[in-house]
Amino acid sequence: MHASFPSQDNPLIRKLESIFTLTDDERQALQNLSMQLAVIKEDQDIVREGDRPSRSCLILSGFTATYKITAGGKRQIVTFGMAGDIPDLQSLHLKVLDISIGTLTQCRVGFITHDDLRNLCTRYPRITAAFWRETLIEGAIFREWVTNVGRREAYNRMAHMLCELLVRLRAVGLVEGYSCDLPITQGEFADALGITTVHVNRVLQQMRADGLIELKGDRLNIPDWEKLKQAGEFDPTYLHLEIDQAAA
Amino acid sequence: MTLTLQPIKVATGFDEDGMIVLDEKQRLVAVLVHLSDENEVAPGQWYLEAGFGRLDGINHPVFADLDAAQEWISQCLARGR
Repeated sequence: MHASFPSQDNPLIRKLESIFTLTDDERQALQNLSMQLAVIKEDQDIVREGDRPSRSCLILSGFTATYKITAGGKRQIVTFGMAGDIPDLQSLHLKVLDISIGTLTQCRVGFITHDDLRNLCTRYPRITAAFWRETLIEGAIFREWVTNVGRREAYNRMAHMLCELLVRLRAVGLVEGYSCDLPITQGEFADALGITTVHVNRVLQQMRADGLIELKGDRLNIPDWEKLKQAGEFDPTYLHLEIDQAAA
Repeated sequence: MTLTLQPIKVATGFDEDGMIVLDEKQRLVAVLVHLSDENEVAPGQWYLEAGFGRLDGINHPVFADLDAAQEWISQCLARGR
């Protein structure tokens, strides 16, 4: 089955083109990639730590969390996934998953078999390079998160995370001006930032009072991008985006 | 274990009162904050703002009332003996 969207709206192509220049042939090959489409409800695991998947999961819409759980049952979210991401792409080469991936919202996903991915990579070495670049950038994001969670104060930590989310969402066309849908709960932010939900709420209230963010339901608006960037000490270099606009 | 609670204002940035919690040797073991009604996740509940010694760490639970908080603190301290 092929995903039924035009090439310019294909989330995988959008995502890869934000970090890599694709030729028409390569774009077509990605567009022709077979995938099994599925809709997964919110708060469901897509894969679990210890799994040995024979396919990877492309997110077409919605948000996921990649996470690990301690023996005491505490969850650390190590990254958020969004349209265009293949959060378990590494399972193509690393046979056993060392993380779990769950949906935060209802997600539309496309499962791509490892056989198909391998064939694609064999036929199009530059797509292999693009996937490599993508996983290297994912590593850069993890390094940034360790620094953020380990060494910034909660307020700055949250500001940094919101900046990253906005820039990544903009790279796949999901931001209007400085507004985006961000259906991530305060509990989920707590698990990502390593602070309590109570603390997340205080920080968000303080950021609202300081004019850094406006939240209406799941809609985030950033009235003063420069101020938020400053609060988060945010420098988008680590996202290695090729599109200048995305890094604005 | 007998705990002693003493009211204290805590500068959380919100209009919130708290309690310092002392153990039987009058050592500070915890600071509890009565979350304001403005807090959107646990309004009116008691939050372990800070813990010391056995209570130091990343676990910061909220409690429905002070009795529940004291029971939890006592259990944590007893486990350390």
